[in-house]
Amino acid sequence: MKLSTLLYLCSLLLMVSCDMDKTIDIDLPPHTPQLVVECYLEQGKPFRATVLETSSYFDAPTPPLVPDAEVHISYNGQRVKLQYNPTFNEKQSKGFTHSSNKIMRGQPGDVYSIEVTDGKGRKVTGYTTVLPKVPIDSVKWQFNENDKALLLTYFKDNPNTANYYRYMTHRDSVRNGSNREFTLTDNLNNGKQIVIGSNYNYESGDTVVVSLFHLEKKYYDFLRSADDAEDANGNPFAQPSRVISTVEGGIGVFTNLVYDRRTVIIAR
Amino acid sequence: MRFFFLLFTFILLLNNISPALAQGTATVSGFVRSADTNEALAGATVAVPTLNIGTFTDAKGFYSFNLPKGNHTIQASYIGFESGSKDITVTGDKLTLNFTLETNSSQLQEVVVEANTLQQKLNDTRMSVERLSTVEAKLLPALFGEVDLVKTLQLKPGVQSGGEGASGLYVRGGGPDQNLVMLDDAVVYNASHLFGFFSVFNPDAVKSVELYKGGFPAQYGGRLSSVLEVDMNKGNYDSLSATGGIGLISSRLTFEGPIVKDKASFLISGRRTYFDIFTRQLNRINEGNKDYNPIPDYYFYDLNTKIYYKLGEKDELSLTGYYGRDFFGFNDSNFSFGFDWGNSIGSLVWSHKFSNRFFASTSLTSTGYRYNVTNSISDFTFKLTSSIQDFTLKTDFDLLLSKGHNLKFGALATKHAFTIGQFNFDAGDNQDMSFNSGNNYKATEFGAYVSDDFRVNPLLSVNYGLRLSAFDSGDKTYTALEPRAAAKYSLSQTMSLKASYASMMQYIHLVSSSGASLPTDVWYPSTSYVKPQRSQQVAAGVSKLFANGKLLFTNEVYYKWMKRQIDFRDGANLFVNDSLENEFLFGEGESYGNEIYLEKIKGRTTGWLGYTLSWSYRQFDEINDGRRFPTRYDRRHDISLVVLHQLSKRISLTGAFVYGTGNAYSLPVARFAFQDVEGRNTSVIPIYSDRNSFRLAAYHRLDLGLVLKLRPKHGEADLTFNLYNTYNRRNPYFVYFSQIESEADDLTLGFEAKQVSLFPSIPSITYNFKF
Repeated sequence: MKLSTLLYLCSLLLMVSCDMDKTIDIDLPPHTPQLVVECYLEQGKPFRATVLETSSYFDAPTPPLVPDAEVHISYNGQRVKLQYNPTFNEKQSKGFTHSSNKIMRGQPGDVYSIEVTDGKGRKVTGYTTVLPKVPIDSVKWQFNENDKALLLTYFKDNPNTANYYRYMTHRDSVRNGSNREFTLTDNLNNGKQIVIGSNYNYESGDTVVVSLFHLEKKYYDFLRSADDAEDANGNPFAQPSRVISTVEGGIGVFTNLVYDRRTVIIAR
Repeated sequence: MRFFFLLFTFILLLNNISPALAQGTATVSGFVRSADTNEALAGATVAVPTLNIGTFTDAKGFYSFNLPKGNHTIQASYIGFESGSKDITVTGDKLTLNFTLETNSSQLQEVVVEANTLQQKLNDTRMSVERLSTVEAKLLPALFGEVDLVKTLQLKPGVQSGGEGASGLYVRGGGPDQNLVMLDDAVVYNASHLFGFFSVFNPDAVKSVELYKGGFPAQYGGRLSSVLEVDMNKGNYDSLSATGGIGLISSRLTFEGPIVKDKASFLISGRRTYFDIFTRQLNRINEGNKDYNPIPDYYFYDLNTKIYYKLGEKDELSLTGYYGRDFFGFNDSNFSFGFDWGNSIGSLVWSHKFSNRFFASTSLTSTGYRYNVTNSISDFTFKLTSSIQDFTLKTDFDLLLSKGHNLKFGALATKHAFTIGQFNFDAGDNQDMSFNSGNNYKATEFGAYVSDDFRVNPLLSVNYGLRLSAFDSGDKTYTALEPRAAAKYSLSQTMSLKASYASMMQYIHLVSSSGASLPTDVWYPSTSYVKPQRSQQVAAGVSKLFANGKLLFTNEVYYKWMKRQIDFRDGANLFVNDSLENEFLFGEGESYGNEIYLEKIKGRTTGWLGYTLSWSYRQFDEINDGRRFPTRYDRRHDISLVVLHQLSKRISLTGAFVYGTGNAYSLPVARFAFQDVEGRNTSVIPIYSDRNSFRLAAYHRLDLGLVLKLRPKHGEADLTFNLYNTYNRRNPYFVYFSQIESEADDLTLGFEAKQVSLFPSIPSITYNFKF
């Protein structure tokens, strides 16, 4: 939790105000939609992307599809076209608008690029460089006197590069959605062994899936800025910030997912 | 600079032609004190009304001015006191004349001052100054009944609050970090409690406050936009007394009395809130209830002390102390979270009178502000600390010369020590994983000044001065000349024109991304990368007395330029960041406006009406695509009406109405859906456009108060009834956009804008006593 958010929550708790919200009318200026791209390349998985548009804030909450959008992913001299084929996975609550059967088999250092164009002349481009996996050294836990356990995840940072991480935990299975996640950098503990702790949230017998993603800086910036923008809506102490995209010509993210994952069963 | 040199040349010319006007004069000087407590009265008026000559006492209650030889009647007056008058015959070159003023018997009468105070205000060379006594502030209605002098100052034109209930001051388009707040010569770095809702000044310990909005005298420096001088009570050195109050949120108690009768006095004053007592009870009652979320502890307290010692006719010594803390904490069996912050201040002031014409004051002060955030889980402990600690040696001289010159000069040196974002992670047994971050800086700030208050002739008086400031951060030294000038020209007995110019430097900067005053804001020094801020302000005004001197109308226009203003990159990490300077952005600012002020301070009905028309902008190359944007507190129209009416000897009624254009605000104009890697919880990410391009709805509020004097067997007592926000206006605190969700399946049906308000109509009652 950010300090500004913490302060905000503190002050709200202390205020005696009650039910002091009301709905108001606000006239927003006309908005010209921009393309929004979300595409994650993952080792051994097919190329899939989601291309939508931004919406004026009070527009109807229907997905702003862009049927005439064309998506191409290029790497090692190959250019692959992703077909427009909107699909939605109910179980994962996740959809894609464009996909291909091509399987991603990149090695660290490989560069992939994306190009999205549409009938309105809009064009979004971006590239991603495959990063090496950062292995989780170990996952440990400690019980307190109430039979609750905290989780400790250890890994070693590479001192020769600036590194950005995303940490996630899932209960039982990754299909259940993460119950905890955050991003971090190594700027305070470069090259050291890093430990990520938790609160006493676990009990004996719990199955926990721990994932450590190694992120590109621009993906880290995107996640942080998206989080900041979301936080600024409704927090009077936060300064509004713009989303820093990893792509140019529109909004969104094009990156590759490299992660190490451990599954542990908590036991005394 | 050209402006200053032209003015300086002009003054020199005047200097050469003026000696004839000063023939046959004598210097009259002395102190003005309270008859009850023998306390010096700073800012009291001492005047010869028939000659339209007069001055104000300084912080030590000392005054001095020149008079033609002959017979005169000299009057001394001070808010809340009976005026004193003495007939004198001036024959020699100098004359010492001390005044002791009696306190007015009725509380409302305490704010009634003789009309010559307005006359003197009209004749004063100074402009853009607001003065307020605790006696006045205690009569006015206050949120939760908590009297707050700083918040009362927000009712003056040109002074704005940051938002509902906030105690931060935004003076003529400046930020809350651009105010030099001083308590008995010591700087106060964070002047608020409870996230800005209360100021740190306990009204029982404070005598008065004085705010300079522009036309800064040369003795002040270090901030761009205002100087707020808070003058503490010295203590009663005649008899022992206790004062206190019991309110809805806090209680306060003050003891004061003599240490050595008529020579030395003490004052000790404390205040504490008691939210935590109730919340702890509530938590205890709900222990074991799984659906209940315990409420965190919160309280604040402050302690003021002062010892005053009159060493002799020529020397006085005073020792002031302040210590205040806010504490927010939460503990359970799994973790322990604590967050505390506050100031600690000490000030030793020695005043010496060399002669009736030469007066000096030397002070040694220590001031510090610190916040600590600690969080412990199992063997792991996180601690985040930031602080600033200063030691200052300052001396000021006041020399009355012949020919109508009053020279002030002095110097100061401050040693600053900054701790910025000191983060410590202690991994317990796993010490190889522990780490620290943060920066420590040391810096030295200097200032030296000279100014002359020169009465050129009965119609024209000028005050001109020059301040030399310097800042050494170790890797870089900055120096600057800060010229100051003010002039007053009397068009008639009831009308005067005034103008001023002030150049100000600010060498330390507040790291704050919120635009509000938060405890986590930290001070940062100028370095080779972070250059000092600079402002220049010109102001001009006209003052006119009406209704036989009962009403004073003032109109002032001002324009302020601000260079090297500071903001931060989007998404800047301001808390745990060893490269904080990389987050700084530098830009420019300007503000301008017109302030109209009509005040009445005599009669059974007193008060004031203020109206400010103003603009305030900033421009940064890396914010808002380089386009100029309004500041959050850019307020086009600001109106305040304050009325105090004495219904009877025991009952007084007060009312305050405020109206202000809504704050400028940033809102998202568009959004996009972000599925993220997992997709399960698609987020709605807002897209912001221009900075502060929306306006909240206008702010307006009426507060009413009633003070009922009781008749206790011993001492004095009163009951103060307040009704804050009388007509229950839902003033906007902030606006956000939310999703309208289906109750059945949580599906998003649409989006709407919500406005959040903080305080509805709030009645309060406070019991005050003195014995």
